[in-house]
Amino acid sequence: MIRRTFVFASAAAVVALWCAPVAGQSRTSDGQPDIQGFWANQTHRLATYNIEGAADPVHVLLSGNPTDETSLIVDPPDGKIPYQPWARARREDVLDHHTNITKWEHVDPHTRCFLSGIPRMFYQGSFQILQPPGYVVILQEFNHGTRIIPLDPRPHVGNDITLWMGDSRGHWEGNALVVDVTNKNDKTWFDIVGDFHSDQVHIRERFTILSADRIDYQATFEDPKVYTRPFTIALTFGRTVKGDEAKNYELFEEACHEGDHDTQEMVRRLQP
Amino acid sequence: MLRALTAPASGQILRGTINRKAFEDVQRRFRYVLVVAVVSSVASAPISAQLRTDSPPAYKAPRTADGKPDLQGVWQALNTAAWDIQDHAAGLGVPAGQSVVEGNEIPYQPWAAARKKDNFEKRLTEDPIAKCYLPGVPRITYMPHPFQIFQTPGITAILYEYDHAVRTIYTDRPHLPGHIDFWLGMSRGHWEGETLVVDVIDFNDKTWFDAAGNFHSDALHVVERYTRSGPDHIAYEVTIDDSKVFTRSWKMNMTLYRRQEQNIQLLDYECNALAEEAAGRLK
Repeated sequence: MIRRTFVFASAAAVVALWCAPVAGQSRTSDGQPDIQGFWANQTHRLATYNIEGAADPVHVLLSGNPTDETSLIVDPPDGKIPYQPWARARREDVLDHHTNITKWEHVDPHTRCFLSGIPRMFYQGSFQILQPPGYVVILQEFNHGTRIIPLDPRPHVGNDITLWMGDSRGHWEGNALVVDVTNKNDKTWFDIVGDFHSDQVHIRERFTILSADRIDYQATFEDPKVYTRPFTIALTFGRTVKGDEAKNYELFEEACHEGDHDTQEMVRRLQP
Repeated sequence: MLRALTAPASGQILRGTINRKAFEDVQRRFRYVLVVAVVSSVASAPISAQLRTDSPPAYKAPRTADGKPDLQGVWQALNTAAWDIQDHAAGLGVPAGQSVVEGNEIPYQPWAAARKKDNFEKRLTEDPIAKCYLPGVPRITYMPHPFQIFQTPGITAILYEYDHAVRTIYTDRPHLPGHIDFWLGMSRGHWEGETLVVDVIDFNDKTWFDAAGNFHSDALHVVERYTRSGPDHIAYEVTIDDSKVFTRSWKMNMTLYRRQEQNIQLLDYECNALAEEAAGRLK
């Protein structure tokens, strides 16, 4: 009984913590905790190379500095994506060939100016959050990627529709924005070395506001076609510009495809 | 702005270009008569798509929390301007359509008229859209895809389904100095009563106004006016200025329609990815 009471008390404390207003947290006109402004990932900043954590040989070669070798994956504890054997083999093939491509399947979608997908949009450059009534809108500077997250309880789009940035539905739980993502296509990667999901992936994101300038982000990926169990990625977002500085700051148009010459070069190499 | 009025008046159809000053004189003296004419024309179907008026908008839009006219929602143009902004007959895959250009005339300088003709002949390969480039402004507005307007204090953001294009229109600051080449230009807005006025500069010279080869230079200056004309309509007026290409400024007018479907939302049209897929380079 004492033990049960303790569990309940703990659960209540956790709920209270979730719902407790962050000091100085202002609200939007429709009552959302206001997180508008410019943000970027601040943990493992070179994670876009390999989210399982590994030194980037090209970066080391160019800069002489080692890269961050910490995995973004907090669950499972070994920091590895729980791939099914065939999927691990596919990913290792990309890892082995990503600096020496022999087929289109080795080419990073970012190189071809395709959208980042989720969660890569959060560690490829900075992003801006807008909160118009009933929505959270995220604008990524790289390749002008966008996400529209409606906060009403409308259902997801039909199963036959796949989207580059998925179909997002969000709601606030106290100081946490919880987003459910389905209808994701299978054409984006997590990083340069080919970590991937299928079009059956179900993503559950949680943006927890820790202070006016810090958001903890966790996303769980469930995909029975590719993984043996779900896994979770953790990032920390910080503001890139604050206060008055933010009033004179803006994202610029980054027209990736329009300036892309890499793809033509790859066409020449791969389709002689 | 009223340039061409097509309305039943005294049993006659009044059509074509009216001298602007003369019209304004008439309008001052006969505003009541005009209103009656417009109202009677609205009341009697079919209503001409060319109906335009200089009168202050009768409709007062709902307001956002910070008191601005609310333009939010999912909108789409329902015309053929993406193919050709001027009068044109049908072609294979091209629906016939009437001009969205006032007077149907684009005042090209002589060299530019020749270039437009050349563009038209090479349009199937040279249209920037055929290369999946961003369409520029105002073409992005009348691509045959929906777009969504969002408003927060100081920002009107327009997100377009086509090519995940986005414009962040700041309404609280001036343009940045210097010329910077952008595909969609640099947009700054301000409010004039019911109207969001957007001043767009800093274009490159690589986009076209349509698939018929109408073009501009990097001196392009676009002024857009978004005015709610009803619960489900926006009157969209565009003034085009480009001293390197045209002999005078000119205007487009069209209506933007609110998408009515309960489940409407932007999906995606990733042009370059679709082109790669069609070429067998994306499995």
